[in-house]
Amino acid sequence: MILNTRRNFFKKSFLGGAVLLFYNSSLYGAAEPLKTLTLAQVDLFPKVKELHVDTASYLLLILDHSRITASHKEFLRNGVQWLHEESLKLHGKLYYNLLEHERQEVLQEISEYGCGEPWIDALLTYSMEALCSDVVYGVNKKDAAQKWLGFCAGFPHPKRAYL
Amino acid sequence: MMYDVCIIGSGAGGSPVAYELSRAGFSVVVLEKGKEYKEEDFNKDELAVSRRELFTPDLKDEQHVIYELNERKEHRRYLGSEHQWSFWNGSMVGGSSNLMSGYFHRMKPNDFKLLSAYGEIEGANVVDWPLSYEELEPYYEKVERIVGVSGEVVSHSFLEPRSTSHFPYAKLEENGVTKWFDSACKSLNFESIPTPRAIIPHAALKRNGCSYSNFCGSYGCATGAKGSARAALLQKCDARVITEAFVYKLESDATKVTKAHYYDSDMKTHEISAKIFVLAAQAIESSRLLLNSKNRFFPYGLANNNNQVGKNLIFSGGGAGEGRFRFETLTNEQQKELMEVGLFFNRSLQQWYEYKKSDKKIKGGTIDFLFEHQNLIPRIKRAFYDEREKIIWGKALEQKIYKELTTSRVLNFEVFNDWLPTDECFVGIEEEIKDKYGIPVGAIYLYSHPIDREVGNDLAKKAVQVLEEMGASEISYSISSAPPPNIVAGGCRFGENPQTSVLDKNCKAHELENLYVTDASFMPTGGSVPYTWTVYANSFRVADILRKRLES
Repeated sequence: MILNTRRNFFKKSFLGGAVLLFYNSSLYGAAEPLKTLTLAQVDLFPKVKELHVDTASYLLLILDHSRITASHKEFLRNGVQWLHEESLKLHGKLYYNLLEHERQEVLQEISEYGCGEPWIDALLTYSMEALCSDVVYGVNKKDAAQKWLGFCAGFPHPKRAYL
Repeated sequence: MMYDVCIIGSGAGGSPVAYELSRAGFSVVVLEKGKEYKEEDFNKDELAVSRRELFTPDLKDEQHVIYELNERKEHRRYLGSEHQWSFWNGSMVGGSSNLMSGYFHRMKPNDFKLLSAYGEIEGANVVDWPLSYEELEPYYEKVERIVGVSGEVVSHSFLEPRSTSHFPYAKLEENGVTKWFDSACKSLNFESIPTPRAIIPHAALKRNGCSYSNFCGSYGCATGAKGSARAALLQKCDARVITEAFVYKLESDATKVTKAHYYDSDMKTHEISAKIFVLAAQAIESSRLLLNSKNRFFPYGLANNNNQVGKNLIFSGGGAGEGRFRFETLTNEQQKELMEVGLFFNRSLQQWYEYKKSDKKIKGGTIDFLFEHQNLIPRIKRAFYDEREKIIWGKALEQKIYKELTTSRVLNFEVFNDWLPTDECFVGIEEEIKDKYGIPVGAIYLYSHPIDREVGNDLAKKAVQVLEEMGASEISYSISSAPPPNIVAGGCRFGENPQTSVLDKNCKAHELENLYVTDASFMPTGGSVPYTWTVYANSFRVADILRKRLES
């Protein structure tokens, strides 16, 4: 139910609109923010896929939250642009059209930028939030992080979503 | 309806008054800005409670403007919402006492006479309290019984005089690592003290005992074992609590407060009339309300004709540090002890509550030790960076997270020492910035006296010695002028002279006949311990004064 609501939101959100890309000082094309962010999340922490954590749905859920500021959302969106433009510069293709090792090379490159490192930090943080989220949020249905890390505290669990 | 007493704020400062006076048969109404949550509403949802700060206002709606004094004596301005700098602690019935860790220490006798005991300090407004430890002691004892404080009284250099020999509740169960701590202290000739906690270990006081969830700080208690003002007091009395009631103005004539005006959640205005008004909205907001309640009798703000409201704002001085214990250096048995979840660490040092430096008597403080909070996400995030402070990801990050969280554990310490009151640290009003109710927000002017950091550093070095002796690695600490928003006091200090204080000894405003302030605002100096026990005790004391007044 929560996720359905978020998907409706997605149609109107900043994640739904394309990000324009420039290459060699001219308009190159556009990229899909959510597709980019979720692929980067898996590239940054593949364990989320192994543990069946739905980071894409979590992004949709959390980026609609009132406590996430507009400037932070803009920052995430700008990061999508940097990532693709760096991909174009290094390999002549959009990030999600690159091979895995090429994408790692791009991530390594942008991590050296002043804004690149906090952008990676933010994506990793959202991955970890998804990984540690309670089952009521529907993105971590098997208590993945808790089992992986042998975490046995944190009771009682929420009966409903407070976010 | 004319109430006997109207209380603004339902936390540790307001609730003892509500509890005592309503049980004595007086009509009491409590106006609380936040919502009501009960035990069944509390859980350990880290995303909502901790990551998205469910229990504090959204800074877009309500914020402060912060001015920090730099070394060139210039103010740097920070808009709270822009810098995500929050001074909110818990907007809900029971206030921030719901979210406290409950480390309870009494102030020491010399804390009540800082000026007499330690002399003047240049640049600081140090004064003696108009109240002695001996006068407040019966109320500290009352808090132990009614709110519920657990612990074990042990003899040490700065044990305060007690009217009872034991805490009414036995100490909470302890993690095996406390034995390492005690042993290290013995080697160093340090005095290890079991930390008293406002948490009851078993069912009592019509509340459940502790479930050892290890999520005390920042989270509401799902069993009611934690002595929040709500669980311990408000749920046990008939005071009427009106929730989501934001008081924006106190109306007065020349001598009395006549009405409290508040907005409800639909932004409709209401007013409450009462014989006596008790303000306990937490230090910064209490000063703000008085300053925003100007009228022709009080053109600079209520009870502020001597320009004292908001002045001498204080926080806890000090800071925090840590050391990590890794499996590599431990026996199998020690590894098991280290990873025991739920059991408390609960150890403190107060041996340097007063110490000598260059033959000068210095007021020191308290060091509390505790395991790193069980919250998963901050512990995972610590692994994001390598030893060169470069971000890592992929397999390297996965392995580091797993290793850090499953084969090591961090022991923290917190230093509490005086934040000396000064002319430069105070609460004002930022007229141009309004909150969601359209009311000017509070401006917080920050300054910490250099001695605060000097004392904090002296204490932190003692804590480091213990961690080293215990065999911890990666030891570090930070003593700074950063104010802890959850340990704030002053702004309406009590005293005998109306020219230099807002309240009299009874916490009644000098300038008004029926206005009392019972949150931490009344404190002219803060002692070197967390404030909550003292705030509770003083509020019980004022409740006795009010009862006698109403009975007469």
